[in-house]
Amino acid sequence: MDPDREDAARLRRGDTSALAGLMSRHQARLFRYLLRLVGDESLAEDTFQQAWLQVAERIGRYDASRPFAPWLFTVARNLALDHLRRQRSESLDDVDEPAAPRSASDPLERALARQQTARMAAALTELAPLDREVLSLRFEEELLLPELAAKLGVPLPTAKARLYRALTRLRERLLATAAAGDWR
Amino acid sequence: MSPHVTELLALAAAGALDAGESERVAAHVRECAACAARADEWGHVVLGLGRLPQPRPSQALVARTLEAVEALIAERAERDWSRAALGFLVALAWTLAIVAWLVIDLVAGELALRLARPVGPTAAWYGAYLVAGWLTAGAAAVLLGRRVQEEGRTV
Repeated sequence: MDPDREDAARLRRGDTSALAGLMSRHQARLFRYLLRLVGDESLAEDTFQQAWLQVAERIGRYDASRPFAPWLFTVARNLALDHLRRQRSESLDDVDEPAAPRSASDPLERALARQQTARMAAALTELAPLDREVLSLRFEEELLLPELAAKLGVPLPTAKARLYRALTRLRERLLATAAAGDWR
Repeated sequence: MSPHVTELLALAAAGALDAGESERVAAHVRECAACAARADEWGHVVLGLGRLPQPRPSQALVARTLEAVEALIAERAERDWSRAALGFLVALAWTLAIVAWLVIDLVAGELALRLARPVGPTAAWYGAYLVAGWLTAGAAAVLLGRRVQEEGRTV
Protein backbone atom coordinates (compact mmCIF):
# COMPACT_ATOMS: atom_id res chain seq x y z
CA MET A 1 0.00 0.00 0.00
CA ASP A 2 1.11 3.56 -0.71
CA PRO A 3 2.84 4.84 2.47
CA ASP A 4 1.02 8.17 2.18
CA ARG A 5 -2.39 6.52 2.18
CA GLU A 6 -1.36 4.21 5.01
CA ASP A 7 -0.20 7.15 7.11
CA ALA A 8 -3.32 9.14 6.22
CA ALA A 9 -5.50 6.24 7.41
CA ARG A 10 -3.53 6.08 10.68
CA LEU A 11 -3.80 9.83 11.15
CA ARG A 12 -7.56 9.55 10.66
CA ARG A 13 -7.60 7.10 13.57
CA GLY A 14 -5.80 9.70 15.69
CA ASP A 15 -2.32 8.16 15.46
CA THR A 16 -0.05 11.21 15.59
CA SER A 17 3.07 9.21 14.71
CA ALA A 18 1.66 8.89 11.17
CA LEU A 19 2.15 12.60 10.71
CA ALA A 20 5.94 12.31 11.01
CA GLY A 21 5.98 10.00 7.99
CA LEU A 22 3.77 12.27 5.91
CA MET A 23 5.80 15.32 6.85
CA SER A 24 9.16 13.74 6.17
CA ARG A 25 8.04 12.83 2.65
CA HIS A 26 6.45 16.15 1.73
CA GLN A 27 7.91 18.89 3.94
CA ALA A 28 10.72 20.00 1.61
CA ARG A 29 8.58 20.25 -1.52
CA LEU A 30 5.71 21.86 0.36
CA PHE A 31 7.90 24.47 2.03
CA ARG A 32 9.67 25.35 -1.22
CA TYR A 33 6.36 25.65 -3.02
CA LEU A 34 4.91 27.89 -0.30
CA LEU A 35 8.02 30.03 -0.18
CA ARG A 36 7.88 30.59 -3.92
CA LEU A 37 4.16 31.32 -3.80
CA VAL A 38 4.07 33.77 -0.89
CA GLY A 39 7.59 35.14 -1.40
CA ASP A 40 8.22 35.66 2.30
CA GLU A 41 9.97 33.20 4.60
CA SER A 42 8.04 34.03 7.73
CA LEU A 43 4.68 33.85 5.96
CA ALA A 44 5.74 30.60 4.30
CA GLU A 45 6.54 29.14 7.75
CA ASP A 46 3.16 30.21 9.14
CA THR A 47 1.33 28.77 6.16
CA PHE A 48 3.37 25.56 6.34
CA GLN A 49 2.33 25.03 9.96
CA GLN A 50 -1.30 25.92 9.31
CA ALA A 51 -1.41 23.60 6.31
CA TRP A 52 -0.39 20.61 8.44
CA LEU A 53 -2.84 21.61 11.17
CA GLN A 54 -5.59 21.74 8.58
CA VAL A 55 -4.50 18.37 7.21
CA ALA A 56 -4.86 16.86 10.69
CA GLU A 57 -8.20 18.55 11.20
CA ARG A 58 -9.67 17.64 7.82
CA ILE A 59 -8.07 14.26 7.24
CA GLY A 60 -11.58 12.76 7.35
CA ARG A 61 -12.36 14.58 4.09
CA TYR A 62 -9.33 13.19 2.25
CA ASP A 63 -10.36 10.73 -0.45
CA ALA A 64 -7.95 7.82 0.06
CA SER A 65 -8.51 6.59 -3.50
CA ARG A 66 -6.51 9.59 -4.73
CA PRO A 67 -2.85 10.49 -4.11
CA PHE A 68 -2.19 12.44 -0.92
CA ALA A 69 0.26 15.06 -2.27
CA PRO A 70 -2.17 16.95 -4.56
CA TRP A 71 -4.68 17.18 -1.72
CA LEU A 72 -1.99 18.48 0.66
CA PHE A 73 -0.82 21.05 -1.87
CA THR A 74 -4.39 22.20 -2.52
CA VAL A 75 -4.94 22.74 1.21
CA ALA A 76 -1.66 24.67 1.44
CA ARG A 77 -2.35 26.69 -1.72
CA ASN A 78 -5.78 27.80 -0.49
CA LEU A 79 -4.28 28.91 2.81
CA ALA A 80 -1.45 30.77 1.09
CA LEU A 81 -3.80 32.56 -1.29
CA ASP A 82 -6.06 33.53 1.64
CA HIS A 83 -3.04 34.98 3.43
CA LEU A 84 -1.96 36.89 0.35
CA ARG A 85 -5.47 38.23 -0.26
CA ARG A 86 -5.67 39.48 3.31
CA GLN A 87 -2.30 41.18 2.95
CA ARG A 88 -2.87 42.79 -0.43
CA SER A 89 -5.65 44.86 -1.80
CA GLU A 90 -4.53 44.30 -5.38
CA SER A 91 -4.92 41.19 -7.47
CA LEU A 92 -2.55 38.26 -7.00
CA ASP A 93 -1.73 38.59 -10.68
CA ASP A 94 -0.24 42.03 -10.15
CA VAL A 95 3.49 42.48 -10.06
CA ASP A 96 4.99 43.94 -6.93
CA GLU A 97 7.14 46.98 -7.00
CA PRO A 98 10.74 45.80 -6.87
CA ALA A 99 11.38 44.85 -3.30
CA ALA A 100 13.97 46.64 -1.24
CA PRO A 101 17.08 44.52 -0.76
CA ARG A 102 16.57 42.09 2.07
CA SER A 103 18.55 42.61 5.21
CA ALA A 104 21.70 40.61 5.68
CA SER A 105 20.00 38.86 8.59
CA ASP A 106 17.54 37.13 6.26
CA PRO A 107 18.77 33.52 6.06
CA LEU A 108 17.16 32.92 2.69
CA GLU A 109 18.85 35.97 1.23
CA ARG A 110 22.22 34.93 2.67
CA ALA A 111 21.82 31.53 1.11
CA LEU A 112 20.84 33.05 -2.20
CA ALA A 113 23.78 35.44 -2.16
CA ARG A 114 26.10 32.46 -1.98
CA GLN A 115 24.65 31.08 -5.15
CA GLN A 116 25.52 32.12 -8.67
CA THR A 117 21.79 32.30 -9.34
CA ALA A 118 21.17 35.09 -6.86
CA ARG A 119 20.04 37.44 -9.58
CA MET A 120 17.58 34.92 -10.91
CA ALA A 121 16.20 34.38 -7.41
CA ALA A 122 15.92 38.12 -6.88
CA ALA A 123 14.06 38.54 -10.16
CA LEU A 124 11.75 35.73 -9.13
CA THR A 125 10.88 37.36 -5.82
CA GLU A 126 9.80 40.48 -7.70
CA LEU A 127 7.19 38.60 -9.70
CA ALA A 128 3.52 38.31 -8.78
CA PRO A 129 2.66 35.32 -6.55
CA LEU A 130 0.79 33.46 -9.29
CA ASP A 131 3.73 33.94 -11.68
CA ARG A 132 6.14 32.56 -9.09
CA GLU A 133 3.81 29.67 -8.47
CA VAL A 134 3.57 28.59 -12.09
CA LEU A 135 7.35 28.80 -12.56
CA SER A 136 7.98 26.83 -9.38
CA LEU A 137 5.53 24.13 -10.38
CA ARG A 138 7.08 23.78 -13.83
CA PHE A 139 10.78 24.10 -13.06
CA GLU A 140 11.12 22.97 -9.45
CA GLU A 141 8.28 20.50 -9.09
CA GLU A 142 8.89 19.57 -12.74
CA LEU A 143 5.19 19.20 -13.51
CA LEU A 144 4.25 18.72 -17.14
CA LEU A 145 1.76 21.14 -18.61
CA PRO A 146 -1.33 18.91 -18.11
CA GLU A 147 -0.33 18.25 -14.47
CA LEU A 148 0.34 21.92 -13.97
CA ALA A 149 -3.09 22.82 -15.34
CA ALA A 150 -4.71 20.26 -13.04
CA LYS A 151 -2.82 21.59 -10.04
CA LEU A 152 -3.89 25.15 -10.80
CA GLY A 153 -7.42 24.04 -11.60
CA VAL A 154 -7.41 25.77 -14.99
CA PRO A 155 -7.74 24.58 -18.61
CA LEU A 156 -4.56 23.64 -20.48
CA PRO A 157 -4.46 26.78 -22.70
CA THR A 158 -4.82 28.98 -19.60
CA ALA A 159 -1.95 27.17 -17.89
CA LYS A 160 0.15 27.63 -21.02
CA ALA A 161 -0.70 31.34 -21.16
CA ARG A 162 0.17 31.76 -17.48
CA LEU A 163 3.50 30.00 -17.96
CA TYR A 164 4.30 32.17 -20.96
CA ARG A 165 3.35 35.34 -19.13
CA ALA A 166 5.43 34.38 -16.08
CA LEU A 167 8.46 33.62 -18.24
CA THR A 168 8.25 36.89 -20.15
CA ARG A 169 7.82 38.86 -16.93
CA LEU A 170 10.83 37.08 -15.45
CA ARG A 171 12.88 37.89 -18.54
CA GLU A 172 11.83 41.54 -18.30
CA ARG A 173 12.98 41.62 -14.67
CA LEU A 174 16.28 40.01 -15.57
CA LEU A 175 16.82 42.42 -18.44
CA ALA A 176 16.00 45.35 -16.18
CA THR A 177 18.84 44.43 -13.85
CA ALA A 178 21.47 43.22 -16.30
CA ALA A 179 22.33 42.64 -19.90
CA ALA A 180 21.08 39.31 -21.18
CA GLY A 181 24.57 37.87 -21.27
CA ASP A 182 25.06 38.53 -17.56
CA TRP A 183 22.52 36.01 -16.35
CA ARG A 184 23.78 33.13 -18.43
CA MET B 1 12.06 31.35 -44.37
CA SER B 2 9.10 30.33 -42.19
CA PRO B 3 7.45 33.08 -40.10
CA HIS B 4 9.16 33.96 -36.80
CA VAL B 5 8.13 31.94 -33.78
CA THR B 6 9.17 34.46 -31.11
CA GLU B 7 6.17 33.81 -28.90
CA LEU B 8 6.71 30.07 -28.93
CA LEU B 9 10.40 30.20 -27.99
CA ALA B 10 9.80 30.66 -24.27
CA LEU B 11 7.34 27.79 -24.13
CA ALA B 12 9.66 25.65 -26.25
CA ALA B 13 12.48 26.18 -23.74
CA ALA B 14 10.02 25.37 -20.95
CA GLY B 15 9.06 22.10 -22.64
CA ALA B 16 5.44 23.22 -22.83
CA LEU B 17 4.72 22.80 -26.54
CA ASP B 18 3.06 19.89 -28.26
CA ALA B 19 5.00 17.83 -30.80
CA GLY B 20 3.79 19.81 -33.83
CA GLU B 21 4.66 23.17 -32.31
CA SER B 22 8.06 21.93 -31.14
CA GLU B 23 8.86 20.72 -34.63
CA ARG B 24 7.81 24.04 -36.15
CA VAL B 25 10.02 25.95 -33.67
CA ALA B 26 12.99 23.66 -34.24
CA ALA B 27 12.69 23.98 -38.03
CA HIS B 28 12.52 27.76 -37.85
CA VAL B 29 15.38 28.10 -35.38
CA ARG B 30 17.62 26.07 -37.69
CA GLU B 31 17.30 28.71 -40.39
CA CYS B 32 16.82 31.95 -38.37
CA ALA B 33 19.81 33.31 -36.48
CA ALA B 34 17.74 35.89 -34.54
CA CYS B 35 15.30 33.28 -33.24
CA ALA B 36 18.18 30.90 -32.55
CA ALA B 37 19.83 33.56 -30.38
CA ARG B 38 16.54 34.22 -28.56
CA ALA B 39 16.02 30.48 -28.08
CA ASP B 40 19.48 30.26 -26.57
CA GLU B 41 18.61 33.12 -24.24
CA TRP B 42 15.43 31.36 -23.12
CA GLY B 43 17.45 28.21 -22.59
CA HIS B 44 19.61 30.08 -20.08
CA VAL B 45 16.57 31.50 -18.29
CA VAL B 46 15.10 28.02 -17.91
CA LEU B 47 18.45 26.60 -16.82
CA GLY B 48 18.72 29.33 -14.20
CA LEU B 49 15.28 28.47 -12.86
CA GLY B 50 16.32 24.86 -12.51
CA ARG B 51 19.41 25.90 -10.55
CA LEU B 52 17.61 27.95 -7.93
CA PRO B 53 18.57 27.17 -4.34
CA GLN B 54 16.21 24.68 -2.78
CA PRO B 55 15.14 26.02 0.61
CA ARG B 56 14.05 23.48 3.23
CA PRO B 57 11.99 24.01 6.37
CA SER B 58 14.13 24.36 9.47
CA GLN B 59 14.15 21.53 12.01
CA ALA B 60 12.66 23.94 14.54
CA LEU B 61 9.71 24.65 12.23
CA VAL B 62 9.13 20.94 11.64
CA ALA B 63 9.31 20.21 15.39
CA ARG B 64 6.98 23.12 16.17
CA THR B 65 4.51 21.93 13.57
CA LEU B 66 4.54 18.34 14.82
CA GLU B 67 3.98 19.58 18.37
CA ALA B 68 1.05 21.79 17.31
CA VAL B 69 -0.60 18.98 15.38
CA GLU B 70 -0.17 16.54 18.26
CA ALA B 71 -1.78 19.06 20.61
CA LEU B 72 -4.67 19.52 18.20
CA ILE B 73 -5.24 15.78 17.87
CA ALA B 74 -5.09 15.31 21.66
CA GLU B 75 -7.61 18.10 22.13
CA ARG B 76 -9.88 16.61 19.49
CA ALA B 77 -9.67 13.17 21.13
CA GLU B 78 -10.57 14.67 24.50
CA ARG B 79 -13.48 16.57 22.97
CA ASP B 80 -14.75 13.40 21.28
CA TRP B 81 -14.45 11.49 24.55
CA SER B 82 -16.35 14.23 26.42
CA ARG B 83 -19.13 14.15 23.84
CA ALA B 84 -19.38 10.36 24.04
CA ALA B 85 -19.43 10.49 27.85
CA LEU B 86 -22.11 13.16 27.81
CA GLY B 87 -24.23 11.10 25.42
CA PHE B 88 -23.88 8.03 27.62
CA LEU B 89 -24.82 9.99 30.77
CA VAL B 90 -27.91 11.49 29.12
CA ALA B 91 -29.04 8.03 27.98
CA LEU B 92 -28.39 6.64 31.47
CA ALA B 93 -30.34 9.48 33.08
CA TRP B 94 -33.38 8.82 30.89
CA THR B 95 -33.19 5.08 31.56
CA LEU B 96 -33.01 5.66 35.31
CA ALA B 97 -35.92 8.10 35.15
CA ILE B 98 -38.13 5.54 33.39
CA VAL B 99 -37.04 2.64 35.58
CA ALA B 100 -37.51 4.78 38.69
CA TRP B 101 -41.12 5.49 37.71
CA LEU B 102 -41.84 1.76 37.45
CA VAL B 103 -40.10 0.99 40.75
CA ILE B 104 -41.77 3.84 42.65
CA ASP B 105 -45.12 2.94 41.17
CA LEU B 106 -44.62 -0.62 42.35
CA VAL B 107 -43.45 0.38 45.83
CA ALA B 108 -46.07 3.08 46.38
CA GLY B 109 -48.89 1.10 44.75
CA GLU B 110 -49.15 -2.66 44.77
CA LEU B 111 -46.41 -3.35 47.32
CA ALA B 112 -47.75 -0.77 49.81
CA LEU B 113 -51.21 -2.26 49.36
CA ARG B 114 -49.97 -5.78 50.06
CA LEU B 115 -48.04 -4.64 53.11
CA ALA B 116 -51.02 -2.53 54.16
CA ARG B 117 -48.59 0.36 54.75
CA PRO B 118 -49.41 3.36 52.50
CA VAL B 119 -46.31 5.34 51.51
CA GLY B 120 -48.01 8.29 49.81
CA PRO B 121 -48.84 9.10 46.20
CA THR B 122 -46.49 7.83 43.44
CA ALA B 123 -46.22 11.26 41.80
CA ALA B 124 -44.90 12.86 45.00
CA TRP B 125 -42.18 10.23 45.39
CA TYR B 126 -41.29 10.42 41.76
CA GLY B 127 -41.11 14.24 41.91
CA ALA B 128 -38.82 14.05 44.92
CA TYR B 129 -36.65 11.52 43.12
CA LEU B 130 -36.34 13.74 40.04
CA VAL B 131 -35.51 16.87 42.07
CA ALA B 132 -32.82 14.96 43.98
CA GLY B 133 -31.45 13.58 40.70
CA TRP B 134 -31.31 16.99 39.03
CA LEU B 135 -29.66 18.62 42.05
CA THR B 136 -27.00 15.89 42.16
CA ALA B 137 -26.34 16.19 38.40
CA GLY B 138 -26.17 20.00 38.69
CA ALA B 139 -23.65 19.82 41.52
CA ALA B 140 -21.54 17.31 39.56
CA ALA B 141 -21.61 19.57 36.48
CA VAL B 142 -20.48 22.59 38.54
CA LEU B 143 -17.62 20.63 40.10
CA LEU B 144 -16.52 19.26 36.73
CA GLY B 145 -16.72 22.73 35.14
CA ARG B 146 -14.52 24.21 37.88
CA ARG B 147 -11.96 21.46 37.43
CA VAL B 148 -11.83 21.98 33.66
CA GLN B 149 -11.49 25.74 34.19
CA GLU B 150 -8.63 25.24 36.66
CA GLU B 151 -6.82 23.03 34.17
CA GLY B 152 -7.37 25.61 31.43
CA ARG B 153 -8.93 23.07 29.12
CA THR B 154 -11.89 23.34 26.80
CA VAL B 155 -14.58 20.67 26.63
